[in-house]
Amino acid sequence: MASHGEVRVYAPDETTARGWSDAAIAEVRRIETKYSRYRDDSVTTAINRAAGGGAISVDAETASLLDFAAELHAQSDGAFDLTSGVLRRAWDFKTGRVPAQTALDQLLPRVGWSKIEWHSPTLRLRAEMEIDFGGIGKEYAADRAAAVIVDVGGLHGLVNLGGDVRVIGPHADGQAWRIAVQDPRGEPGTTIAYLNVPHGAMATSGDYERYFEHEGRRYSHLLDPRTGWPVEHWRSVSVVAPLAIAAGACSTVAMLKPVDDALQFLQAQRVRYLAIDCAGRQYSM
Amino acid sequence: MPTPAKTGSILAAALALPGVVPSAQAQVTVPNATLIQFKYLYYKDYQENNGVTPGSSGDRMTVKSPALYLLAPISDSWVFEIGAVYDNITGASPYYHTVLSGASGEGVEDKRLAGDITVTKYFGRTAVSVRGAYSTEDDYRSIAGGFTLRHATPDQNTTFTIGIGYSSDDVFPQDGPVFTRTKNTLDGIAGITQVLSRNDVGQVNLYYANQSGYLTDPYKAIYGVDQRPDSRDQFALLVRWNHYFQSLNATLRSSYRYYHDDWEVDANTFTAEWGQELPEGFTLTPSARYTTQSAAFFYYDPVYDATLGAPFPPGYATNPNAFYTSDQRLSAFGGITLGVKLAKVFAEGWSVDGKAEYYEQRGDWRIGGDGSPGLQAFKAQLYQVGVNKKF
Repeated sequence: MASHGEVRVYAPDETTARGWSDAAIAEVRRIETKYSRYRDDSVTTAINRAAGGGAISVDAETASLLDFAAELHAQSDGAFDLTSGVLRRAWDFKTGRVPAQTALDQLLPRVGWSKIEWHSPTLRLRAEMEIDFGGIGKEYAADRAAAVIVDVGGLHGLVNLGGDVRVIGPHADGQAWRIAVQDPRGEPGTTIAYLNVPHGAMATSGDYERYFEHEGRRYSHLLDPRTGWPVEHWRSVSVVAPLAIAAGACSTVAMLKPVDDALQFLQAQRVRYLAIDCAGRQYSM
Repeated sequence: MPTPAKTGSILAAALALPGVVPSAQAQVTVPNATLIQFKYLYYKDYQENNGVTPGSSGDRMTVKSPALYLLAPISDSWVFEIGAVYDNITGASPYYHTVLSGASGEGVEDKRLAGDITVTKYFGRTAVSVRGAYSTEDDYRSIAGGFTLRHATPDQNTTFTIGIGYSSDDVFPQDGPVFTRTKNTLDGIAGITQVLSRNDVGQVNLYYANQSGYLTDPYKAIYGVDQRPDSRDQFALLVRWNHYFQSLNATLRSSYRYYHDDWEVDANTFTAEWGQELPEGFTLTPSARYTTQSAAFFYYDPVYDATLGAPFPPGYATNPNAFYTSDQRLSAFGGITLGVKLAKVFAEGWSVDGKAEYYEQRGDWRIGGDGSPGLQAFKAQLYQVGVNKKF
């Protein structure tokens, strides 16, 4: 996973702490290896390679992730879509060129979860379609890694994968972890707020992670799979939920929704949030 | 038109992912989904006709029983449960030993209607439940109440349970002399559930019950000889261990129960279940149970008084006020139950299940002592189907 990772854990001694964090890191590596779209031997690559051919059967863990993705797709009215990665072919954030509508129109037929035949455990992709687990893999890994530490006896600590944090338990003295929220218009590392998280997880989606500006307009990597264009409703949405994968899913889906819809959605999900809209207004609960 | 978001639906979907929460948890947590459950049970017991004892053959009791259960979280900390069951019981129960009432008269038909309500309030890691139950049939009425407290440690790895219950039952037989007698039961439970590792959960429960009042079977008393003490102290210890085999996607649930009462019934029961997860949301669970018990001190074998004949036990004439029973359930025996359950989970909270069980009880299957002689094997079949829906 092309991001910074961190495991912090209170343990009786250094050897134990090292053992616990090694076990957690091994679990993160396992998931990265299994689902990285950059690896030839990953499940993701095997699925994408079979696109246009027959149905392939996936293992139980992958089936659970696909079920979860299907549920998110339904809950977000199609805004969350594992197949949207194909749009990156038109959007090159390094060179910062705005693609022509015709280029997007050519890609959109290859995007859309509803075009996939998913009958657990078999999956069939149409030719030239692709899926990737980038939208949920990091949070899933954080949850699994934290669960590994709890299972071996850890009570206090956290797993942080690129800003998506799953808390194992509060500090050893019972204090909540104070997790910083990046100022979406500040230099990297500048904080706009802190959220206290004693248990559970926090995840943030922001338009500042990858973007370019063209003629005064910001084009972020958060693409609406239904139009192919970046969404502009929010600068960032941070969510606190019991699981990192739930927090991440809520923040990603909220980013893709207009302000009122997003707030309604977050409230219905019964999560705490700090959301900053495109004009810099803050909403929190 | 955006789909209205279901409350907490994303977290609920996320919880279905494997390994995102520590695997084995003895949690006290508020249920977050409404559950409606319908079950239909068919049960019958019978004894083979061996042609030796006249009137001793064939089917005994048959029970057809639909049941409805609702669990509804009504806020973040209050949960309601309501259950209702209707039993239609037909057949014949033995007057004494294996001599049937149905052989010398008509079989019985009884209808039982029962309902219960449980209200649970959660205070963080502590839950307090209050339960009330009512049951009525032609010759029986029961009213019961109880209180349970559950508390989990901060790491949610250990849960303590204590509970107390009370029931008052009236029996008024419809046949023979008319009377009403009352039986009261006070019971208590104390237990601890402990997460032992990622894949192991252990549990130890202690039960105690005191029954007092009319504990005799009125029909056996009228047509046979049944005179029981008017109090019974019961004690049980249950030890349970569940182990999840990750590589096999299967759970082994095993338990041992020791039971003792002051009627000198001692029972040892061993149970094992193998819950095998299969593709397409199926779970197949074969199970086996063995129980062995000693007889109550006042159980008498089917050997009758030389002068009075059946159903009177030897010496009855000189000691008519002593305690006697011919109830097979209080004899010494070994019993084996074999079962299989198949469940399937569908989309949108639907699931269905079906199970079948076969039970056979014989005197000579007892281990750790002699079984009661002279009784035919007692057999039972149970079939149950269920439909569940979660919102």
